[in-house]
Amino acid sequence: MLRKHALLAATLTLLTSFSAAAATTVIVHPSNAAALDEKSVQRIFLGKEKKFSDGVESIPINQVADSAVRGDFDENVLGRSSAQVSAYWSKLVFTGKGVPPKEVSSDADVIELVSKNPSAIGYVDSASVTGDVKAVSLN
Amino acid sequence: MKKVLTISTLALAMSTAANADVRINGFANLIGGITSSDDTLYGYDDNIGFGEESLFAIQVSGDINDRMTATGQLVARGSDDYEVDFEWAYLTYQVTDKVSISAGRLRLPLFRYSASLDVGYSYHWVNAPRAVYDVPFNNLDGVRVDYNTFVGDWEINLQAGAGTYENEIAGGKLEGSNTLVFSAEATYEWFKVRGVYGRSNATLEIPDLAPAFAQMQQVSPELAGFLSLNDDSGTFLGLGVEVDQFDWFVSAEITSIETEESFSPKDVAYYVTAGARINKWTPTLTYESLDGNNDIKGLDIVAGLPAQLQPAGAALAAGVQLPFMEEYDVITAGVRYDYDTNVAFKADVSKYTDDIDESNDATLVRVAVNYVF
Repeated sequence: MLRKHALLAATLTLLTSFSAAAATTVIVHPSNAAALDEKSVQRIFLGKEKKFSDGVESIPINQVADSAVRGDFDENVLGRSSAQVSAYWSKLVFTGKGVPPKEVSSDADVIELVSKNPSAIGYVDSASVTGDVKAVSLN
Repeated sequence: MKKVLTISTLALAMSTAANADVRINGFANLIGGITSSDDTLYGYDDNIGFGEESLFAIQVSGDINDRMTATGQLVARGSDDYEVDFEWAYLTYQVTDKVSISAGRLRLPLFRYSASLDVGYSYHWVNAPRAVYDVPFNNLDGVRVDYNTFVGDWEINLQAGAGTYENEIAGGKLEGSNTLVFSAEATYEWFKVRGVYGRSNATLEIPDLAPAFAQMQQVSPELAGFLSLNDDSGTFLGLGVEVDQFDWFVSAEITSIETEESFSPKDVAYYVTAGARINKWTPTLTYESLDGNNDIKGLDIVAGLPAQLQPAGAALAAGVQLPFMEEYDVITAGVRYDYDTNVAFKADVSKYTDDIDESNDATLVRVAVNYVF
């Protein structure tokens, strides 16, 4: 019984540290001056809005489904599990209403794309943010 | 300067690549079911079967230019011996960010899950509740206009469709002309409400009923004209609500289908479903009900016939209507497990209760694998 508790505590600690490590930051091109909050990021990543608040086209860049940062972004910014986000897109894809964001496989790839395209918006592990991109505060 | 050039080249490359995209997606539902002994339901019997609801589909879509997209969907259904059929084929023209027009063969926006009815992965059920969703006019040959906008925090989606449909039902061919459907959906974060109105001129000749109608023609041409389904105006009404708080959800839809001047009974159907999301598990409970058990129509015409013709008239009127009257409810407990972001496993058990003929009562157990790519 005691052992079970200890195990649970260890698992919990692990989980906490895991999610802390996976804190995500939304990034855009340094020249992007559009107003962004959680709602507008949600709309862009769910294909409901195709432009930034200043009228510039927005191109969301996703991370691959099995990455920790994707899971964190889906749960905390989009407010759904990755499976639900994928179910949401399957609805749009198979009705010809939308194409899900392109997926890349690393924070470095996201930063590379975002730093080169004023329309791009992505998210990375907070620890990966560099000076080539602008971090967006969602509050 | 060079740097700027590189950037614009990259940007160009990105947008060109997007334009030239031909996207191939697919989905599959493998569903197996078995009923309680000596019973049948939805085509299943007491030997496990996989052919009733399973399907495999491939969708190909390509951008013709900035604003035009062509989409084709090939579907092979177990219930059609996996014969491949072009169920959808349409062109979409994106007029503005908010307005698009599609033309071809496409899905009518009748229900909450109409658009992705075949994509099992998109919902929590093994299959959408048949009491509501199993209608013979899900696909339309025609035009649909979609309008999406935000009003404050509300997301508004309006759709209007016009065209014709054709389907096989009870051994006969159902045709709908002058079909018009309007739907409006409003979503506020966790709350969604939608309403639908549709109308059509329906024609249906069922070979098995032909002798009865021929006799009826002799007894009373007026009665035969009233009860036959020949270019008669039918209406569809639907209402849906949904509350989705992520950890749990509840939703319901109610529909009414009526072709007044015909042998076809008025059907009122609804379902209520609720579920919880616990990590990868989604246990759900669904209650569905269909009431198409009404008074025999046309008896006022029968009452106007000469007395000696009235018994025959009444018998014929009842004879063509009773086989289509249904009244039943189904309660289903199910679970979905998200194995991956493109694979889900599901299982459910349904208890079907027939309020007209209790010998039709049955219990069905199903398992399913849904896949999308």
